[in-house]
Amino acid sequence: MRRLSVFLVVLLSALVLGTTVRVLLWDDALTQALKAGLPEFEKATGIKVDLQLVPSGTLLQKTLISVTAKGSDYDLIAVDEPNIPMVAPLLLPLSEWPQTRVYQKPDMSDIMPTALAAGQWKGAFMGLPVNANLYVWMTRKDIVEEYKDEFKAEYGYEMSVPSTLQELLDMAKFLAKKGIYGWAPFTKPTEGSTCEAVWMFRSFGTKILEATENGYKVVLDKGKAVEAINFYKALLKYAPPGALDYGHSERIAAFSQGQVFSMFQWPAIIPNHEDPNSSLVAGKIEYTAPPAGPGGRASVRGAWIAAIPKAAKEKEAAAEFAYWWMSLETGRKLIPKGMTPARKSLLLDTEFLKDRPWFIGIFRAMPYAVARPRFEHYPEVSQIVRTHWLDAVSGRVSPETAVDKMVEEINALLEKYGY
Amino acid sequence: MRYSKNTVTKRRRGASPFFLFVAPALLIVGFILIYPIVYAVALSFTDRTLLYLGTTKFVGLANYSEMLRDRNFWHSLWLQLGFIAVALPIELVIGFFVAILFNREFPLSKLLKSLLMLPVFVLPVLSGLTWRLMLQPGYGVLASFFKVLSLGPPAWLADMTYAYIAVLLQDIWRMWPFMFMIIYAGLSSMPSEYIEAAHIDGANFFQRLYYVIVPYLSPVLATAFLLRLIDALRIFSEVYVMTYGGPSNATMLLSLYINKQAFEFGRISYASTIAVFLLVVSLALSYFAVKRGMRGEAT
Amino acid sequence: MKKTIVAWVVLISALVIVAVELFPITVIIFNGFKRDIDIWSKNPFYFKPTLMSYKNIFSNQDFVRSLKSSMIVASLSTIVSVIFGAMASYGLVRFNFKVNTLIVFILLMLRMVPQMTLALPFYVLFRTFNMNDNVFGLSLAHISFNLPYVVALLLPFFASIPKEFEEAAKVDGCTSMGIFWRIFLPLASAGIVVATVFAFLLSWNEFIYGLVRTESRDKTAPVAVNAFLGQYAPLWGQLSAAGTIMLLPVFAITLGLQRYIIKGLSAGGIKG
Repeated sequence: MRRLSVFLVVLLSALVLGTTVRVLLWDDALTQALKAGLPEFEKATGIKVDLQLVPSGTLLQKTLISVTAKGSDYDLIAVDEPNIPMVAPLLLPLSEWPQTRVYQKPDMSDIMPTALAAGQWKGAFMGLPVNANLYVWMTRKDIVEEYKDEFKAEYGYEMSVPSTLQELLDMAKFLAKKGIYGWAPFTKPTEGSTCEAVWMFRSFGTKILEATENGYKVVLDKGKAVEAINFYKALLKYAPPGALDYGHSERIAAFSQGQVFSMFQWPAIIPNHEDPNSSLVAGKIEYTAPPAGPGGRASVRGAWIAAIPKAAKEKEAAAEFAYWWMSLETGRKLIPKGMTPARKSLLLDTEFLKDRPWFIGIFRAMPYAVARPRFEHYPEVSQIVRTHWLDAVSGRVSPETAVDKMVEEINALLEKYGY
Repeated sequence: MRYSKNTVTKRRRGASPFFLFVAPALLIVGFILIYPIVYAVALSFTDRTLLYLGTTKFVGLANYSEMLRDRNFWHSLWLQLGFIAVALPIELVIGFFVAILFNREFPLSKLLKSLLMLPVFVLPVLSGLTWRLMLQPGYGVLASFFKVLSLGPPAWLADMTYAYIAVLLQDIWRMWPFMFMIIYAGLSSMPSEYIEAAHIDGANFFQRLYYVIVPYLSPVLATAFLLRLIDALRIFSEVYVMTYGGPSNATMLLSLYINKQAFEFGRISYASTIAVFLLVVSLALSYFAVKRGMRGEAT
Repeated sequence: MKKTIVAWVVLISALVIVAVELFPITVIIFNGFKRDIDIWSKNPFYFKPTLMSYKNIFSNQDFVRSLKSSMIVASLSTIVSVIFGAMASYGLVRFNFKVNTLIVFILLMLRMVPQMTLALPFYVLFRTFNMNDNVFGLSLAHISFNLPYVVALLLPFFASIPKEFEEAAKVDGCTSMGIFWRIFLPLASAGIVVATVFAFLLSWNEFIYGLVRTESRDKTAPVAVNAFLGQYAPLWGQLSAAGTIMLLPVFAITLGLQRYIIKGLSAGGIKG
């Protein structure tokens, strides 16, 4: 009896006090889908949710304007992985998240470890990964079927989903004769190009930046970097026209129109390719990890983290919301709406695999996840990397010069910030 | 300053109507204007970044001296001034001649004039994206058109020079109707005796243009130029979605650079510094246009 | 005979100019009726018309509500800007003080700073005065940059009106306000029409202030349309459809206000 009355008092006070949790997230199909689940959350916890969705291009601006060390307009925010080092001082580490009443912290072993690593900074986890976003490799299995005999005759091995970059190059060369573009790059001067650079460098066995005990060091191996650049340039010969100015729109269009054989894609975009209304190649795609270079396979990761600002007012409510979001039940409801789960059990759930063949691709790529350089002033590093990378692959500058400049400028940057 | 014949001579009572007319505007704008401008200027003397961790340091002129030594800044400034110097005069000339053409009664003129303004009305982001679509080799209408004429490389936006030209073209296409509308309004206000007088004197079209119409319209032309100038110096969205400032910073106009510093790198104090500089440049460049715009009719 | 030839040449030239100029606009309009896959197809002229994009945007509550918000904000800011802007412009031109040029510059200063630089201070300003989540705050922000624009735009129009009009009205015993309302405004009608159209347009299309201060209920149209820019790639069909819809109010206003432009005033107007 006593426990019941205590429970009622707590419940009533929560309702009476009317907690509202303010959430700021990026705007797309997944986050829109969250809206549908809000009534259930509100009923179960008594917490009202004020959900604000902002286009991701402007999300960081809005977040930083609204969240400071002194005060925060929002209790739960979404942070794109590369920005975590910069924003970390404002965030409450996962280990310090308050206890919740209704929804519990998800089983950490069910979360893909490499996704969890996205939220890690200086040994602490700064939040929960709410999507598993990383390079998934797409290949047209119908093209493989059609040309595999001819290919084997000419090249001497089975045509299949390319497992190494060299195979990709061979197949691209072969398919060029058939009027098919073997591959498509990302070359707009934005973050996407930095991802390409990181992908290639890691595939050839070299990293850009490494954290040391007292700072950072540039560890780019010039020989391997130049090799990577030259290989990328070789691949570019078999890319569609205008490939040196290829952004998401162009890549999506080219692949969905059936012009490209094999390329990477972010899981959030893949549904476009599997929608018969916007793609001619729905159902014809095989999903794997990216092909391996001399340094192995590398899949650039770009997960989003749900984080609680240190200055948030309703931390417990925010934690409830985050745990609800990560729960299996919510996941099951949201996956049909476009969520890419970071939980193993959801990724491998056969019910979803039927309609979402790319989930297996995510699972296959996860072990090879690589991060972009983790550094508080990452955006400036990214700018340096992508500028010289693009200069090199477009032929404006020799690969050696580009790598030299990249290293020189990153070192200057480190010096500027006192490392 | 030349006082035109049309101004009222100052009388004892003259001062109060002036305040009556001007005060509301000054109050509204002044109230809102002071804080942001002071904020932006003050910010340029600090080291504040978007990531506000609680302390801001005063750094004096450090940002300004960094700006003067910043190669990328000078590069952007150069691109910006080039943009103004090429696009604006072209827009003005096209707008002028089309306004002359339209300055007579003919069927559908009202509808056509309004249709002509649609490029000005389009959301800048949509304009930039559509031009990006049209310039795409393989899909784009413009790309095919230029290919047929053998004009430029297949992918204009991938080429440093042609991307800049594309940015100029987008603006000229979008904004010459803006000049047109203002000039047309000026022509509409022109007293008919002027044109009649010129006709009577037996002047031909170009003489009428040069000796009568242009001088009469010079305040309007100056104003059209001024208004376009202050916006062109800050142009952002259209260019950003077309090129993101590339390739290789070939289209990194000033506002794109400011945006990069402020919202990509988070260095809002440095971005403010450049913005303050831009403000000073704008004030300087628009000085004569404002003076000219306030003048009354000549003769 | 010569007159008809000239008239035809003019009409045909006008049609050609409009046709060429409107080409990209027709691309946008057509894209609103194409499936996304056709927008990026090789032949831009072939497509299967579909209303899918329009259906999508009109079932998007955010977008529909944002049209209303934008309409309120734009109308409010236009009316205030044009009325007080015209008054100020008139005052600055007809009462000649040395300081007037300086006043014009001060008014224009806000427009010479890139909007993104002012976004943060505006956000703080509105937060302090608690104006962040209603239309008045945003309207005020829009007025602050529209009003100077109207003032600058109308300067030459007021300046070019011959003194005789004013003197005749004074002889008739008009007050300053009377002269302004009954003589100068009509004479500057062409300028006023342009100022109204542009003030409305700038407010209607304004994005940055709307983004920075908006609470979800009161989004303006450009902010809602920004969502169609997508996480990675734009939703071309919906973006084009929404953009086309957004053109309509401004176009309607322009077309409607044309008849208020009084042309070719003659000195004979003094007697009338």
